[in-house]
Amino acid sequence: MFQSLRNPNDERVQLTVNGELIEAFVGQSVWSVMALNDQSITRRAALSAEARSAYCAMGVCFECMVEIDGFPNQQACLRRVSKGMVVTTQDITEMTEASDACV
Amino acid sequence: MPAFDCAIVGAGPAGMSAAIELAKRGARIAVLDRGRRAGGQIYRAVTDSPLPDTQVLGSDYTEGAALVAAFEQADATHFTQADVWHVGDDSRILFSRQGETHELHCREIVLCPGAMERPMPIPGWTLPGVMTAGSAQVMLKSDATVAEGAIFAGSGPLLYLIVAQYLRLGVPVAALVDTTPRSNYFDAAPMLPRALRRLPLLKKGLSLLREIRNAGVPFFRGASALQVLGDEHAIGLRFIAGGTSHEIGARTIFLHHGVQPNLNMTRAMDLEHQWNPEQLCWQVKSDAFGQTSVPHVSVAGDGAGIVGADGARAAGRLTALNILHRLGRLPRTDRDNAAAADLGALAAMAPFRAFIDRLYRPTKALRLPNVPTTLVCRCEEQSLAQLRAGFDQGARDPNALKMLTRCGMGPCQGRQCGHVLTELLSDWRGEPAEAVGYYRLRSPQRLLTLDELSRFHAVSAEAAE
Amino acid sequence: MNADVLIIGGGIQGCATAYHLARQGASVVVLEKDYIARHASGVNAGGVRLLGRDMAEVPLSKASMEMWQTLSDDLGQDTGFRRQSMINIALDEADMETLRQRKAMMRCEGYTHERIISRDELREHLPHVNPDCVGGVTSDLDGYAIPYMATNAFRLAAERHGAQIVAGEEVLNLRRVGDSWLAQGTTTRFEADTVVNCAGAWADRIALMIGDNVPLSHAAPMLMITARMPHFAKPVVGAVSRQLSFKQFENGTVLIGGGAKGFADRANNRTRLDYSKLANAARTAVEFFPIMRRSAINRMWAGLEAYMPDNLPVIGPAVNATRAFHAFGFSAHGFQMGPVVGQVMADLVLNGQSSFVLDAFRIDRYDRKVL
Repeated sequence: MFQSLRNPNDERVQLTVNGELIEAFVGQSVWSVMALNDQSITRRAALSAEARSAYCAMGVCFECMVEIDGFPNQQACLRRVSKGMVVTTQDITEMTEASDACV
Repeated sequence: MPAFDCAIVGAGPAGMSAAIELAKRGARIAVLDRGRRAGGQIYRAVTDSPLPDTQVLGSDYTEGAALVAAFEQADATHFTQADVWHVGDDSRILFSRQGETHELHCREIVLCPGAMERPMPIPGWTLPGVMTAGSAQVMLKSDATVAEGAIFAGSGPLLYLIVAQYLRLGVPVAALVDTTPRSNYFDAAPMLPRALRRLPLLKKGLSLLREIRNAGVPFFRGASALQVLGDEHAIGLRFIAGGTSHEIGARTIFLHHGVQPNLNMTRAMDLEHQWNPEQLCWQVKSDAFGQTSVPHVSVAGDGAGIVGADGARAAGRLTALNILHRLGRLPRTDRDNAAAADLGALAAMAPFRAFIDRLYRPTKALRLPNVPTTLVCRCEEQSLAQLRAGFDQGARDPNALKMLTRCGMGPCQGRQCGHVLTELLSDWRGEPAEAVGYYRLRSPQRLLTLDELSRFHAVSAEAAE
Repeated sequence: MNADVLIIGGGIQGCATAYHLARQGASVVVLEKDYIARHASGVNAGGVRLLGRDMAEVPLSKASMEMWQTLSDDLGQDTGFRRQSMINIALDEADMETLRQRKAMMRCEGYTHERIISRDELREHLPHVNPDCVGGVTSDLDGYAIPYMATNAFRLAAERHGAQIVAGEEVLNLRRVGDSWLAQGTTTRFEADTVVNCAGAWADRIALMIGDNVPLSHAAPMLMITARMPHFAKPVVGAVSRQLSFKQFENGTVLIGGGAKGFADRANNRTRLDYSKLANAARTAVEFFPIMRRSAINRMWAGLEAYMPDNLPVIGPAVNATRAFHAFGFSAHGFQMGPVVGQVMADLVLNGQSSFVLDAFRIDRYDRKVL
């Protein structure tokens, strides 16, 4: 289980991860927020749809790609949280159809 | 448009040292780095750690704060949170920053891409919960996040360091599974006498191991046949040690067996590379000053071949001296005089580095997959068996195999599978790695949204200052 | 090495010519200086398009389009061809007027394969298109193929019929001596009765060796491919008056072309990208398809391609030599024509004539003009 060693009084922001409202420390990486809140599945593999999660946490494995504010392919280990951010597990396989036209 | 004299890509120890030296002698420089603060991987968050007490991370880490402070004092234009995704031999650098694209021109380029961990393609390595020891370090330094009850498996100083750091913080560790083969001790022994000249470093390493043993963490040595257990998520590790099979339960398993240069940038530039048979990895060809096959492009630090943080500092300064000479700011004799101390220091470090490299050389059984279903390419989900099938269909070099199977075509652009593929093809062809080669890479070096690309700006050196 | 026909250039034109000749019993050698499909034939956008062709090209392009429909079966090898139709989008009424005028012109020539579509039909086929777009034009037979696979399919089929493909062999020198063409390659000498110049961006140099001067230029059209994204567009997409071209493959990746050009360094066999122009291409794509704002580019590259001043290819016999033929200068739209050009060249070589009118493609069409 992941644990935070931070001072609990540090400043926090709220964001949403997979529909769940979550409190995170200002400046925290999106990946660390997911890990600490038992939301460690970052994406589904494009062919097999197997669950994947962060492997390197330093930007070289591209396993932690999530969707942030509607933009897929965002590396959760490199992105920092911000107030009101919406994070979801990336689920784009070769079969995925785009939802209805956004405009 | 006014250009920079020199752009430095990467603000780790090599990049910071180069910047300080260049700025000291009046060069107009730009430093581009992905972080919010300088430091690179090794000194990550050293000036603004969220940890209540950074002393537990050790003095090698905390001493980095002085270098970061000196760098931040230097007269350099530091682009923080700048994600460089293209470096051209036409002296153009493209980077993303806060959702927009910028193009910058410079006379000289110093690449400091640093190192990344050597992938360990064991069965189950793609399961959630399997991470690298480096990731444990990153999470600890940047986010004060730790994994309780994790297994650490592999070998090498970085692995022992993170275990010791966890123990100092009181974080429970399920086990340390050491894969250093017994034969490595014999192979490295002849190199020990020369390495002893760096006795303090050796002592530091030994004290780490003692610290771990004294803490009573289950410690398995000479482990082999590693396999991550679990279907949807890692639930444990199976391995053989001391002649018996063990299974230990854990939701987090940190793997590590050494580091290798982070190749993407130097490869994408098509600089000349060579295979390093001691460190078993590709490295860019460069001279004592880091100058590559493209004269106005230099490379410093672990990205040019693993030298460690101290070596990277020296290499950064040397690179800067040579660039000052190339810029006409430093006569050759002055350059050579100023370089003597660092050249000497690097030479003095070499025997110890060679000893450590030999002692912790990862075994082939862990460098290369040996179960047909194990994925080599994580992005495009290509297994050992699929790659072998492609090879048997005639795709005998990395690019042909990439065209045929999409191996290496995903977002990581071969960072995880590139070295493995070189070694596999080398085995299958019965030819040296050098003859096999590597992927031909293309920009961008990380996924770039059309939105980011469409917001395009040119950076003027004057406006940036 | 001796052969009836020596083909210079291992792109799709050279390989298709080799296939059609070998199939009819000619002994054929293809010389390729790099490897098969190294340049324009391997790194183009794969569009298989009849839509929007120059009038002079329509007969050839129509015939070729028929061939594409069964090409994978005919060659016994997958070309990656998918018939998905193509739509050129009209941004405004001016574009629609352009389309109507073209339609009138096409009708005079008896062509009916292009069909103007309304705003509603456009949105039916492309639900994610910018709703400001007013309509478009479509051709149902169109689609895309995988460039490397298609070129390689011709190559493999040609080899099955006995053609020899020699890669890594550059023609350094070519002479007509008596009844033979003598070619000096990098390592080997070749002798043939007939020579066919399919050398793409290098074809003006081969033409010169043959004896024909030609105002050929070269450029480096750039391409981008995205990471997989949810399927949002089945047809191949272009625009009537803007530099827009893309297609989404079955695996979800999107290949974006559009004709923006990088830097072509022919002497060094390489290209360099112009990122500010790619930024423009990105803006255009997002403007037409707001959903693409969120797509992520995985790779960008450019290929070396040959252009004629009128953007029409050279197809036909040499004018200053006998038993020599040209097929080059396709100006970034030759991939679709590969199958028929192979047949035309085989007809010219074996029978001295083609059933197609090739006047617009003569190599000497600029001889009388001052450029």
